[in-house]
Amino acid sequence: MKYLFIILSIALLLTAPFFGQIKINLFNIGDMASMDYKLFWDLRLPRVIVAFFTGALLGLSGLIFQSLFRNPMSTPFTLGVASGATLGSAFAIVFGLVTLVPVFGFFGALLTIAILFSITSKLKGYDTSSLLLVGIALSFFYSAALMILFYLSQESQSYEIVRFTMGSLDVVGIRHAVPVIIVSVLLLFMSLRYKNEIKLLLTSYDNAFLKGVEVRKINTILLVSVSIAVGVAVSITGPIGFVGLIVPHILKAIYKKSADKLLLVTFFYSGIFLVGCDLIARNLGTSSDVPIGVITSFLGAPFFIYLIIRREKI
Amino acid sequence: MLKINHFSNAILSDINFHLKENENLILLGSNGAGKSTLAKVACGIIYSDKVELFGEKLEHLCAKRRAELINYVPPKLEIFDDYLSLREYLELSRLYSSLSVDEVISILNLDALADKPCKTLSNGEQQLTMLASSILHGAKLTIFDEPTANLDPKKTLQVYEMLKSDVIKNRVIITHDLNLAHKLGYKILSMQEGKIEFFDENKKFFEVSNLEKLFGSSIKHVDGYFAVNL
Repeated sequence: MKYLFIILSIALLLTAPFFGQIKINLFNIGDMASMDYKLFWDLRLPRVIVAFFTGALLGLSGLIFQSLFRNPMSTPFTLGVASGATLGSAFAIVFGLVTLVPVFGFFGALLTIAILFSITSKLKGYDTSSLLLVGIALSFFYSAALMILFYLSQESQSYEIVRFTMGSLDVVGIRHAVPVIIVSVLLLFMSLRYKNEIKLLLTSYDNAFLKGVEVRKINTILLVSVSIAVGVAVSITGPIGFVGLIVPHILKAIYKKSADKLLLVTFFYSGIFLVGCDLIARNLGTSSDVPIGVITSFLGAPFFIYLIIRREKI
Repeated sequence: MLKINHFSNAILSDINFHLKENENLILLGSNGAGKSTLAKVACGIIYSDKVELFGEKLEHLCAKRRAELINYVPPKLEIFDDYLSLREYLELSRLYSSLSVDEVISILNLDALADKPCKTLSNGEQQLTMLASSILHGAKLTIFDEPTANLDPKKTLQVYEMLKSDVIKNRVIITHDLNLAHKLGYKILSMQEGKIEFFDENKKFFEVSNLEKLFGSSIKHVDGYFAVNL
């Protein structure tokens, strides 16, 4: 059963670039002069790669956040990093710096991380819940700032901002996929590197402390890694909701294993989930692609509720 | 071995005592007297710069060294994770003990429970799990917070035997059980409203005049055992 899913997933991954509104002629993708070549190598393939690694990164981030914050409602966006990136991007859009949108997005995310950790490092009784509360407060602050930008912006700019917040996997050229690949692989590496510490943190913070884990240091390392990775992803694709919240839960319900054993599994299947959602978004037959966030939520939410009901019955 | 120099906070006031090398301790006191708080200060869960362990300042120790010197066993097993099995929990706990996880499991007769998630264990089983964990941790000094609460007589005896044995190096035991305190015979520290009210040899504590002073008529002494005078 397990292997069947892996094989199906890899098959999905390999065939995904060939499906879309425009049919690709398989025999032409080696011919550099053809439309098919451009379509395949510059649009479809980068898009599938970005979808996979963005999904993987968001799912893994969600799993780590839910474990560290002990809060099943945590998502990679809970600390306000995504709001910071959105605000940065909106700023770039409103002030006519359209080519710099990802750069501003990333600085918005970085600034948020800096504010977050400089505030909490001053708090005497440091715990993850105060970090969470500061993050939520920051998100609200950013929403207000975003409203001001909306107020200042022209109609077309407003539309662009709204479109950004829906999330989009439209990328042109493989080079846009590179940052997402790098940060998601780095995040996976970090989480596996600190696997044993995560395992101890999953018992209780006091127990981890007594067993010689530097709780505060490990927490900070993991949270900063997640935040940077999320910042990079959001500045390229916009905040794609639900992947980071729901996929870790679905996998936990299916595998019935501790989070530390699901790091790689979550990484892989979250990526597959987003590739699948994107495949649907591209092939619904509408004149333009349906926003990816719509598909992830439409698919994820009912399945999630189904799992909760089923779990209650058992 | 353990030295606390004039520590005070919201619960404790002016805690000052010195436990010498290889001296074990019983920590007594009514509910809310501050026993667990004192234990958390001693092991660093509550930060303080007033604690010395084996001649080293607690706040200067690196996390690994601290774990080698001191461990605290809380009254209840707290585990966030739903699926962590008893065996996995014990594997995580094994730090400085020469015993293996399987050896400790069989010493405490936990074989049948080894693959069950910790969360599904009963209170008594969790109590034994924590004892097993502390043996595997193998710290030089272990503080047990009410290790015999929630246990049936058979398991109480089992825990008593373990607490006495040399699988645990040095120990501080928090308890309400005067018989346990009496039989173990360790030095006694008794607390009242955040203060130390008695810190001396076991024998002196169990002198009739002292017991009357501390407990009034609520304790009855019959044939070398102490019972609540109902």
